[in-house]
Amino acid sequence: MTHNSAVTLTYIEFMFDSVKVKAGITQVTRLSARGNAAHVLPAGNPPAGALPVLPALGELLPGGLARGSVVAAGRWSLLCLALAAGASVAGAWCAVAGVPQLGVSAAAGVGLDPARMLLVADPGTAWPQVVASLLDGCELVLLRPPDHAPAQVRRRLEAVLRRCGGVLVVAGDWDGAQARLLVTRQEWAGIEAGHGRLRARRVLVVADGRGAAARPRTQWLWLPGPDGSVGLADQVVTEIQATG
Amino acid sequence: MAVHLTAAGVPPARVLVVRCPDWPVPPDPGRAFEQVVSLVEELCPRVEVLWPGACALGARGPARYFGGEEALAGKIIEAVTGGGFACQVGIADGLFAAQLAARAAAPVTMVAPGQAREFLAPYPVSVLDSAEVAELRPDSAGMTELLPRLGIVTLGDLARLPASQAVNRFGVAGGVAHRLARGLDPRPLAARPPPADLSVSAGFDPPAPLAEPVVFAAKALAERMHAGLAAQGLACVRVQVQVISEDGQEHARLWRHDGLLSALAVAERVRWQLAGWRPDGPRDEAYPGGIVLLRLTPDLLVRAHGRQLGLWGDAVVSDRVARAALRVQAMLGHGAVTRPVAAGGRGPAEQATLVPFGDARDPERSPDRPWPGRIPVPVPATVCQDPLPARVTDATGAPVTVTGRALLSAPPARMSASGGPWLAITAWAGPWPVAERWWRPQAARRRARFQLVTEDGAAWLAAVQDGHWQIEARYD
Repeated sequence: MTHNSAVTLTYIEFMFDSVKVKAGITQVTRLSARGNAAHVLPAGNPPAGALPVLPALGELLPGGLARGSVVAAGRWSLLCLALAAGASVAGAWCAVAGVPQLGVSAAAGVGLDPARMLLVADPGTAWPQVVASLLDGCELVLLRPPDHAPAQVRRRLEAVLRRCGGVLVVAGDWDGAQARLLVTRQEWAGIEAGHGRLRARRVLVVADGRGAAARPRTQWLWLPGPDGSVGLADQVVTEIQATG
Repeated sequence: MAVHLTAAGVPPARVLVVRCPDWPVPPDPGRAFEQVVSLVEELCPRVEVLWPGACALGARGPARYFGGEEALAGKIIEAVTGGGFACQVGIADGLFAAQLAARAAAPVTMVAPGQAREFLAPYPVSVLDSAEVAELRPDSAGMTELLPRLGIVTLGDLARLPASQAVNRFGVAGGVAHRLARGLDPRPLAARPPPADLSVSAGFDPPAPLAEPVVFAAKALAERMHAGLAAQGLACVRVQVQVISEDGQEHARLWRHDGLLSALAVAERVRWQLAGWRPDGPRDEAYPGGIVLLRLTPDLLVRAHGRQLGLWGDAVVSDRVARAALRVQAMLGHGAVTRPVAAGGRGPAEQATLVPFGDARDPERSPDRPWPGRIPVPVPATVCQDPLPARVTDATGAPVTVTGRALLSAPPARMSASGGPWLAITAWAGPWPVAERWWRPQAARRRARFQLVTEDGAAWLAAVQDGHWQIEARYD
């Protein structure tokens, strides 16, 4: 609470910025810096709870994205963006590291707010440090690791995660991830040989994980739907198509 | 020696005008022209920038120094073309004649002293309307259209009129035009003083092995830099922090400033930069050889007129996010952390502009325009930074082509992206022809887009241009 009010105060001070209030500003900045330090290192009590997910993913991830956890989402695809979208809708900042090919319009389509996104296209060899820094500022970091993460690096990042209470969505594999989602089947609708166009894609997503999430769950989703968003696909139609 | 005074009381000074014919240069002509001006200023200080694309200087002193006006013109042309810019030089009595001389130059035109009136005489009166002299004279209100109808076609005709008649008929504008036609200048050059060096630096002797003393010195340096800027009424958009170690390594980085950072905040950025220089080592480890010099240089100077933050609207970047972004920028560089802004465009790559964190969030193209022919929703999630070369063939194995009238040679049957395995195409849509920017030959392009679905279930956005297939994006 003190942290928040100090930040607000800083902005109000800047609105009337002039030489005369300079002394006041330094004081307030110092205050807010202290508030921040307390926020970044919440010794012992990380923010509890979970980040929300989109309603369509609620069946697959009943509790949302638990803070301090790693979610692996197979290879880079729209599913990674859909996982991050729920938190972004709720007002969280979202950083994307190691994905230079990110389609920003598609991200906006599934619900990510581009105004609250940070992109680090090429984190380079020091990517663990970059991700750790991003986790300090953003509640959700979407990472495509440039190479396989050694166990030591994974443990360090997981420690940072638990301290900050953020969520790491990995586009790739991550040993020891709390939840794992995978697109196992996909079929495009609306396009034929020479006519129509890509209108929507129905995918079968399988989710499993550890602990409470251990039982595998499957769900057919529109990813993307006709307007670019994520929706639940009709189960009945799916089963008919799957058998036929 | 008697100085001949003109009617305006200003002796006809020798003026040299440097003109860059291929201006304006996108995207920022003013900033690019600063390079030309600084090249000229290396030879002779006190240059007046007339507008982005032309500058003027008093020729008498530099000509004496370099051994003649011809030598001076040669030096300037050599310097400016050496910097990669084409230029023309004109030397004459007065700014007006020198500007016209520069325009006629190939690449140097010199009008001998006292010959300005003869040089100007054959020019039509319409040159008084050209943009170059617009600021030299008051608004003429149709004078240049009226003069030819009165039988006064050239500047020579105008100069032959008695001055009183020109003023009687056309007022102040007529008087000024008459003086210009006689080769007299309405005003002397307003040369700017050479720009003051506002950068500040501190040396360390003995070299500082740790970051702490450097950061401490940075705070005092930043205060000096801010004082120097404030004395001139300026603010800097960015500040360059340059660190040199004793073994000759140099590390320079630009930080966003916008006149908002306190000395403490600048020192903080120096600390981040030092930490980012050696990202692997712990913070207190010594730098090899130590740091010998720290320099802060204000970049992109603007007039300081305060700043008003919006009360609501744009997403406010909290301190916490800004700190994280700046720390990553310290490691990887200013451009490494970006924020996307929706932009207008037809292709998938054009629909977003990535703006470095801290810079103004302006899209390259407006997203509010209709952009007919843009790719339909849903849009692809994977956009190739550089389009992948691809091969698409029909059932017989022949490459699929598209004619100028967007007719397909044969239905596509198989494709291979960037030398990968051949995949059978199960569904496809297109061609969707796009002819963009045909009015600008360098940027014009004609292509036909396709959506392709392959046997593995993947969907691709492909385009064919000049007979070559490319993969622009994947619908992952």
